[in-house]
Amino acid sequence: MDALVLAAEWFIGLFKTGGDVFLSLVGGIVPLLIVLLTGVNALVALIGPDKIDKVGEWAARDGIIYYPVRYILLPFLAVFFLTNPMAYTMGRFLPEKYKPAFYDSAVSYVHPPLGIFPHINPGELFVWLGIAAGIEALGLSVVPLAVWYLIVGLIVIFIRGIVTERITAIMWARREA
Amino acid sequence: MNDFLVKIGRGVGGVVGALYQAGREAIDQVIVNILPFMAFIALVIGIILKTGVGDWIANLLAPLAGSLGGLLLLSVIIALPVLSPLLGPGAVIAQIIGTLLGSTLIANGDIPARFALPALFAINPQVGCDFIPVGLALGEAEPETVEVGVPAVLFSRLITGPIAVVIAFLFMPLLPYD
Repeated sequence: MDALVLAAEWFIGLFKTGGDVFLSLVGGIVPLLIVLLTGVNALVALIGPDKIDKVGEWAARDGIIYYPVRYILLPFLAVFFLTNPMAYTMGRFLPEKYKPAFYDSAVSYVHPPLGIFPHINPGELFVWLGIAAGIEALGLSVVPLAVWYLIVGLIVIFIRGIVTERITAIMWARREA
Repeated sequence: MNDFLVKIGRGVGGVVGALYQAGREAIDQVIVNILPFMAFIALVIGIILKTGVGDWIANLLAPLAGSLGGLLLLSVIIALPVLSPLLGPGAVIAQIIGTLLGSTLIANGDIPARFALPALFAINPQVGCDFIPVGLALGEAEPETVEVGVPAVLFSRLITGPIAVVIAFLFMPLLPYD
């Protein structure tokens, strides 16, 4: 009988720890998240997502100076205003040869801003939050990590766009041959 | 004067309406997307902490997560063109590995807090690899572009996945964590 009670206690304990974790997540993050999401949603609605169409047309041009527009500015604006997955519709402004690289660049930027702009991808918040929780547990501020994740992310998507554009060009040439 | 009042009323009404709608969307997002995943993560963490599986996984991950070489290896494995589309959906794998790293190795101080930055990139080189055809279709790409684009993105990740880790590693000293 005692063994049974012990087993039952252990079984319930399994979920009790989970419950404590859930409570700390809901109490710690959700209130901030709700207000932040409301603010950003309102901002996006008031500015109007269609404003970024112009940047899309701009990013379609050839020439080296348009690389940062295509693989930094456009992906950033697209994920910020249209969020995941509608951000990828901005690819429609680009010539076919740039579309895979733009997708690669945009999809790689749905996580790096999550520490500051969680509205971009609220369903995948824990890519950021899981690791950030460890920093918080140490009693450190997560804000520097959030900021550098966002900045390094921009550098990474820029490189990713260029590399994928090159690989696409090579594969396309091989296909035609 | 009347015109003016009507204009003000309309403007204010528009802004208040947008704010209210924004609040409604925020609550929707929290209930539909965020809370269910928090429940799932809480269950996983709870079981891991209580059963001691966490120590076991932490021991396994520690050599990978605590050095540049290990993080590079992790990113290359996740970016393999056969694996990356399988690991992509919902970013579930990245979220679980991230939570494991955060709640065990980083929280316990087993690896330096600064490693959080390169780790964020090392767990995520597969981002969107499951979604390439759909993402390209959203951008109104031709079928031919999809045929070329899918392998192009997958192979690119093998190169840019580790590059991302190296860049994050270089920026790591700028974090104010000692």
